[in-house]
Amino acid sequence: MSVFRKHKSIVDRAASDRVRHKKKIEKAIKHSIKDVIAEESIIGQNGKKKIRIPVKGIKEYRFLYGNNENNKTVGSGGDHKLRRGQKIGKGRGNRARGQGMGPGTNEKGEEYYDVEVTLEELAEYLFNDLELPDLEKKQFRFVSQEAVKRKGYRFKGIRPRLAKKETVKRKIKRRKMAQKAGTFDPESDERFPFHQNDLKYHYIKPKDKDNSAAVIFFLMDVSGSMSQDRKYLARSFFFLLYQFLNHKYERVEVVFISHSTHADRVNENDFFKVATNGGTIISSCLNLELDIIEKEFHPNSWNIYTFYCGDGENWHSDNETSLDLFKKIKDLSQLTGYCEINETYKGLADDDDDQTFGISSWATFSAWKNEEMENLWAKLGPLCDNKFKKVMVGDTEHIWTAFNALFGGKIKS
Amino acid sequence: MSTWTEADLLYWDEKISRIATDLGLDWHPIDYEIIDYQEMLGAMAYTGLPTHYRHWSYGKEYERTHTLYNMGQTGLPYEMIINSNPSIAYLMKENALHIHVLTMAHCVGHSDFFKNNRMFANTNPNNIIDSFKSAAKYVKKLIEDPSIGINKVERILDAAHSIKYQVPRYPGIKYKTQQELLAVEKAKMEADPKYKTNLERVPLEPQYNLLRFIAEHSKHLKEWERNLLLIVEESSKYFIPQAMTKIMNEGWACTIHYKIVNELNLPDDLHLPFLKLHNQVIRPHLGQVNPYHLGYKLFEKLIKDFGFDEAKILREIHNDITFLRCYIDQEFLEEMNYFSYSFKKTKKSLTIDQISDDSGWEKVRDELIKNVGLNRLPVVYVDEIEKNNVLSLVHEHDGRDLDVAHGQKVHDYIKILWGDDVKLVSTVENEVWEF
Repeated sequence: MSVFRKHKSIVDRAASDRVRHKKKIEKAIKHSIKDVIAEESIIGQNGKKKIRIPVKGIKEYRFLYGNNENNKTVGSGGDHKLRRGQKIGKGRGNRARGQGMGPGTNEKGEEYYDVEVTLEELAEYLFNDLELPDLEKKQFRFVSQEAVKRKGYRFKGIRPRLAKKETVKRKIKRRKMAQKAGTFDPESDERFPFHQNDLKYHYIKPKDKDNSAAVIFFLMDVSGSMSQDRKYLARSFFFLLYQFLNHKYERVEVVFISHSTHADRVNENDFFKVATNGGTIISSCLNLELDIIEKEFHPNSWNIYTFYCGDGENWHSDNETSLDLFKKIKDLSQLTGYCEINETYKGLADDDDDQTFGISSWATFSAWKNEEMENLWAKLGPLCDNKFKKVMVGDTEHIWTAFNALFGGKIKS
Repeated sequence: MSTWTEADLLYWDEKISRIATDLGLDWHPIDYEIIDYQEMLGAMAYTGLPTHYRHWSYGKEYERTHTLYNMGQTGLPYEMIINSNPSIAYLMKENALHIHVLTMAHCVGHSDFFKNNRMFANTNPNNIIDSFKSAAKYVKKLIEDPSIGINKVERILDAAHSIKYQVPRYPGIKYKTQQELLAVEKAKMEADPKYKTNLERVPLEPQYNLLRFIAEHSKHLKEWERNLLLIVEESSKYFIPQAMTKIMNEGWACTIHYKIVNELNLPDDLHLPFLKLHNQVIRPHLGQVNPYHLGYKLFEKLIKDFGFDEAKILREIHNDITFLRCYIDQEFLEEMNYFSYSFKKTKKSLTIDQISDDSGWEKVRDELIKNVGLNRLPVVYVDEIEKNNVLSLVHEHDGRDLDVAHGQKVHDYIKILWGDDVKLVSTVENEVWEF
């Protein structure tokens, strides 16, 4: 005789393994992010757009037979009209998974599979573990009061907020007391009506939603030396920054400034599309930024972020002026980032996406390129601390590491 | 809402058991767990074992099944049964009574097969649940050990899982130890002065048990890492006989459930849905081998030719390979309309190679056997530990080339376990290929 048991498991036994698997996917997404963030198609898209990310590393590997002529498959045919040489499909991918053990031979041995995420989710994955550097509480300019919260009960209130359950509870309490005291007999037909004192109301408290405002200044060199490739890198870098700050702040204002020998405040479209020419005077855009900050974004109410991106070339005579201006901006900003696009920079050996980069290690590359130590990169050295950072990008794969370096690269554990 | 009660299950189980006894079947008692959809997914992820150790791949399996099921690409199995004593089987609450009747009869067939087929002779069903439980406990202990933790455990398990099927395939063969082999070789050399062999060589004979060999010979593995490899090897041992007999096992269980249920005299409102379900289970899958179909049809033919008692003997002595090799013939293949196909680079398409006619049926049979159970997986053996502790592995090439990308990954995994360099030799497109 068999035994029948109603299974009463309280624990979902696969739960911890599912969590672990999910973590692996997230990690893999983070790992592939380097490839994704520089994707042309996602730059300038809004948050709802879905993108496909190739994710690697979650596949399990075994010795398998490859998909080739010597590896034949057997199956049953639908009718008897089969003939040799007949084509029956595009590839093994079309075939449903075989049953039983063995991985089947339908995978093509590719290391990647796609995960579809929205940009918002992508930002979530990317940035949840990164902390903004010392986020001072500013006098928030946008304090919304939309949120209200129920908080306890009061004896007075408006009718729609009547707390029915509490009211009935009080009535029952009163009736029990009346019973004990002998003033009310439950057996009788007598009604026991609500009393004014039974009524209780929900209390609603307006809740100030912490709302933080930030303004980001994107400054880009559009002088003749900024080639298409360099601009592309700059663009990818800015895109990532924008997504990050957008993710962290309720409200983000963005100011785009492009400069060659003089600076212009432009809109997003022009910022990325405008053709490049002319020489480079970095101070021009820094002056413009200070101007705009004074007129529109008072540092007491705004978290200011400034990111400069250029190829590191500047008129010699302008270097000292720029340095002073960078100092000023640094004092006003939460964070100032200086990014140099430099193809000769090959990056540091990094396989570990969790790695933190010492800022000092970046310097040598630019110095090597410009031969003299008089260049801006070197001069900016003394300015560097946790509010001013410089990074170098030579290739799309450096963007993520540069980004990590900028924001402290600290991964919350 | 269920349309059945536990009393129904007990009622039909009693009848099923009586008929099965009359058929001369001999099975372990069965414990049925009545579970819901979520629990079924969970049970499936761990291949039914209630005490399996933790690993993220089972979480992945859970999600995969869940997704496939949600997209309607797969149904949940009606039956899942574990080779233990008593056998543990699962019945999903949401299923209708006729499904349960079929499942219970089917499970009797499986349990009978487990108990009698010789491939399962060494599976130790009395202790399997406990041995998995103690393995799970051990893995848990390692994960919770602050000096080890989940990452280090996964590093080993991920690698070990990549070669979990690289274990000896035929149960019951006693492999000689290095010492015993040495004794044999020495005796041979004494008997025949001309006979020469290198006694220093490790191993003296090809070793097919990669997990065990690495656990025993790696110079770098820590004690707990060796133990993990042996745990994986142990669980492979449990699955190997099932992989070796998938077609027979399912075919036998289908034969039994059909025989039993037909004798149950089910009322029409149960019998008609039962017939429908039975036909669904044993229908051929286009372009694939449905083991339920193949096994059922082959047993049907054998019972017709030799009788049920003879079939009971066959279910004891064969595995899928020998079973197909001995009993499928041209007539059978033609009726089943089996054909072989492969991907042709030149045509960029899957193309039919052979069909089951006069000139092709033997080739189709041979390809079919190549695709049965573990034959679908390449064999890799340890050839020798070379100078500088290089582990030299050889892929036994049988005409089919390895998937190079996967091979490379597995090679990397083996290096993690071995700790020193690993050489893997194979043949790809008729040339020697070394990973």
